[in-house]
Amino acid sequence: MQNEKQFQRELERRPHLHRHGAMRPFFTRRGFFQLAGAGVTGSVLLDRPAFGQQVTRQGGKTIDKAKNVVFILLTGAPSHIDTFDFKKTVDTPLDILKPDTIKGIVWPAGIMPKIGNKLGEFAIARSVRSWALQHNLAQSWAQIGRSPAAALGDIAPNIGAIVAVEKEKDRVPGQVFPTFLALNSGAAVGSGYLPAAYGPLKITPAVAGLPDTRNTDGDTRFNSKYDFLQKLDQPLRNAAVSPYGSEMAGYDGFYQAGKAMMFNPAVDQAFRFTTAEAAKYGPSGFGNACLNAAKVLGARGGTRYIMITLGGWDHHTNIYTALPPLAKQLDDGVSALIDDLKANGTYDETLIVIMGEFGRTPGALTATDGRDHYIQQFAAFAGAGITGGRTLGSTDASGQGTTDFGWSRDRDIRVEDIEATIYSALGIDWTSVRYDDPFGRGFYYVPESNNDLYGPIHDLWA
Amino acid sequence: MTNIRKWIASAGAAIVAGMCLTALATAQEEAAQGPGVDHSECSLFGPNRDRHGASGLAAESRKRFRMSELTTQVVPLLAASKARYAVSSTPAAVSDSLIDKHLFTAMQAASVTPAPRTNDYEFCRRVTYDLIGRPPTPERLVQFVTNGDPNKRAAYVDELLTRPEWVDKWQMFFSDLFENTQNNNQVNRFAEGRDAFYKYLKESLTANKRYNVIATELISAAGGNSYEDGKLGFVLGGFVTGGPRTGQDIFDQLAANTSEKFLGIAHENCVLCHDGRGHLDPLSVWGRRETRLKSWQLAAFFSRTNHRRVVVNPPANPYYYAIEDNTTFRVDYPLNTLTGNRPQRQPLGSIRNVSPEYPFANGGKPNPGENYRVALARLLTADIQFSRAAVNYIWKQFFVRGIVEPANQFDLMRLDPDNPPAEPWTIQPTNPALLNALAKDFADNGFDLKDLMRKIATSDAYQLSSRYEGTWKPEYEKLFARKFVRRLWGEEVMDTIVQTSNIANTQLNVPSLGGRLPWAMQLPDTFRIPAEPLGSFLDSFLRGNRIEEERRLDGSVLQALNLMNDAFVHTRTRASGTGDAASLARQLLTKYTAISNNLLVNEMFLTVLNRPATEEELLTATSAFSRATTAATRQAQAEDLLWALYNKVDFVYNY
Repeated sequence: MQNEKQFQRELERRPHLHRHGAMRPFFTRRGFFQLAGAGVTGSVLLDRPAFGQQVTRQGGKTIDKAKNVVFILLTGAPSHIDTFDFKKTVDTPLDILKPDTIKGIVWPAGIMPKIGNKLGEFAIARSVRSWALQHNLAQSWAQIGRSPAAALGDIAPNIGAIVAVEKEKDRVPGQVFPTFLALNSGAAVGSGYLPAAYGPLKITPAVAGLPDTRNTDGDTRFNSKYDFLQKLDQPLRNAAVSPYGSEMAGYDGFYQAGKAMMFNPAVDQAFRFTTAEAAKYGPSGFGNACLNAAKVLGARGGTRYIMITLGGWDHHTNIYTALPPLAKQLDDGVSALIDDLKANGTYDETLIVIMGEFGRTPGALTATDGRDHYIQQFAAFAGAGITGGRTLGSTDASGQGTTDFGWSRDRDIRVEDIEATIYSALGIDWTSVRYDDPFGRGFYYVPESNNDLYGPIHDLWA
Repeated sequence: MTNIRKWIASAGAAIVAGMCLTALATAQEEAAQGPGVDHSECSLFGPNRDRHGASGLAAESRKRFRMSELTTQVVPLLAASKARYAVSSTPAAVSDSLIDKHLFTAMQAASVTPAPRTNDYEFCRRVTYDLIGRPPTPERLVQFVTNGDPNKRAAYVDELLTRPEWVDKWQMFFSDLFENTQNNNQVNRFAEGRDAFYKYLKESLTANKRYNVIATELISAAGGNSYEDGKLGFVLGGFVTGGPRTGQDIFDQLAANTSEKFLGIAHENCVLCHDGRGHLDPLSVWGRRETRLKSWQLAAFFSRTNHRRVVVNPPANPYYYAIEDNTTFRVDYPLNTLTGNRPQRQPLGSIRNVSPEYPFANGGKPNPGENYRVALARLLTADIQFSRAAVNYIWKQFFVRGIVEPANQFDLMRLDPDNPPAEPWTIQPTNPALLNALAKDFADNGFDLKDLMRKIATSDAYQLSSRYEGTWKPEYEKLFARKFVRRLWGEEVMDTIVQTSNIANTQLNVPSLGGRLPWAMQLPDTFRIPAEPLGSFLDSFLRGNRIEEERRLDGSVLQALNLMNDAFVHTRTRASGTGDAASLARQLLTKYTAISNNLLVNEMFLTVLNRPATEEELLTATSAFSRATTAATRQAQAEDLLWALYNKVDFVYNY
């Protein structure tokens, strides 16, 4: 789909795929999980193709430069015009935001000085528009790369779960980390219709490391009782022997994976940290997550997709009181993450994506000194060999709308395009279609990719 | 069988005095093989399936079904499994109950031999979990097994139906179904509003309120305060923000919710935006013929319904809701807007307002002067589809699979066996005569939920073993020729550990309900309740959030890590406390001396897994004890055994 006009025409033909959030059909995910539940556990009862049995690909030419992705979702929706698409307004407190021009990019150096010093690493897309202005909906949209309100959106896995399915084959013996890690992301979308095994392991990083990966009894006694359990339960854990069959016997797989993570120095090394290490990242909860991400990726233990949530950006009131401390967390965490990924040699193979679910109203502040929900937004990219120190696209003087699309498709960037970008960066053909979905009608990794409605922003690497 | 005999012999009077051996006789020999049945057609995707079949799926289709894999693996082991996990000698008698009549007739017609009847231990555990979400106590279990009354299973089902835990389990089910949560994406009920809906459901179940009455109350509820009047909770959940001022988004959402929850027709939601043609063609014969106008006629029953925010002053919470009729909205569904959550609603020829008309069954309109929602409830509850959807939803909780799947995706044009759809469509229910008979029976008996559950739980079909004696084929699944296993809900796992360990749960604090709840099944929500750490424990078992994540039954690494290591489980494996407060491990260590470790093992099995240990299990466990020669090591071994039982796969599954 080569330009905005054509694109809009295509959308007209497919309204229920793309309806704005304010116009949400409200086909709840839950409603469809009744299908999905059947799809996963009772799928066998539906005569639909078994899991993973058929995936077609149209042969999208992928970038394939990233091994990992760190997806940072700024929930609550940050003000684009006070951060990555800075615009001076009548209300901008210049003494706090201290705009400075760095590499030709006007940057609020007062609140994010460290990222400012690293702008050479970043490509900042400014011609990005959200579909929805409701937090939950738009946050889900960003995580699944399609409308949660569309039929298949309702059963759609998190992008990270698709990555987990695709990258399962790359695991090597000894890699025991979860492929998909969600840090500080309790509300992260899960595995959708895919088996829960591909869903995010949701944790809040802590000095003590991965929860429940140690047993209070210590490793000696634990190993002894685990052996005892295996001996006791073997008749039911072996599908070839169990009279109850493979679903029940297959439950042992989760035990094996869990056991492998326990009392494991590699796990402790990657998931534990010291307060001294944390200090470099803020310290803050978000900083801890960035630290955890850096260590986990550096350990190369099988984790490929890390989602980190930093909430609190819903600045309807007193934005210039609330924004600086939050921006500082982002600034400290992300800059230290880049430093440490570089230090451990994974920066060039890790794509970092930073975005909110939408933007905030430009211009003067509201009566409550805040900014309300707005569809223009930004997305920032770093790592994985992208060409940094620049912007993609631009907005008008106030940040209300796109004036230059700045990429080859010559239209606004949507989260579906960012989704395609993530897949392409990882070498996953974004045109893939799985036929193991509960509707049996084919699950497109990127919706309408067969019609080329969306596609990766390969311009990032140009 | 020998293991059970040995155990009985050794246990003596300890816990099974009077146990009747004849009730535990040897497994029957079944000639399992019959000729194969016709290959079942896909009941859901019709032409789509053929398309995939053409691309190579058909050739391998037999390998494609997980359950078929598992069942073929069963075959070589029958001899072994019989010895280890004996089933009752009682043949799976075909009773003349309507369920059995239809299911066994279908099996017979297909020359499929059903699994044998499950034994008393399995039945007692299975039905207790399915009806009340807990395991039986060991005392009740032994009493049940040793009872010689041939009608004891039915009597036990009756007993369970009167238990307060039955209310807890089914409030959880209906709260899931009706999506009762504090916040959905559109409306905030606040804790007070959610709790009111929760209490309404509990009170309704406690009184065994008839399901048509519940449906009528929920659909037609009007009142001034959603904090106090729980039955407002369903209509409140259909509130949609940001739509046109003339309310169509809300009317549509209420129509969609009503259709899915009470009629099992989720496709209504699609048709509220556009005609089915061109959209639902591969999914539903009914859907592809349905028009947007007809779905507006359904939505029109809600077109006089108003959600009014009432701001509390001084605010405890910002606001509650009143649900009212004919106040803000005074005309029938108006076709007057270009904006909204759904495509524009514009006049169709001369039609500028759509009047309510029930789009299913034989139609029907409000009587003169009749409240529209009261009229809808009257027409809907008289529609056999209301009954079909309900019995199918409930059936699925017991049999793991619905007679129609997915349970919210009924195709009204594929339900009548005497009037089958054109090729390549097939009849949708796996046993249409059963579904219709059960639905009619439910209606004829006044929509009595307990009566329905009693009929299900006492059917021979429900009492089939989950083990199959013979070559299992995927086609047998639709015949319900064996019982399917079900991973327990998180709440069931948590409450079982509390009950069996004898260490109370003090961490289920729900401030809005006045403090701590003893049982997870009593929680009013599945989202962010209870506080950590137990919230994460329950979440790991995929209880869903009633908003966008459905409760699921698959496994995960976190479940294993929680069961192995979480403090909630670990503390409950300890031999702590004294007297009534003594934990299970402590009680058994005190009750039995080292010389009768075998009795300790068996009672722990009976308590936690609701069955005696098998011969191998007994050997494994007692030999571990034989190496524990001091009081301290014996205690540690008892704790480790309890830990192991909480981590056995047959602990976390109902089978």
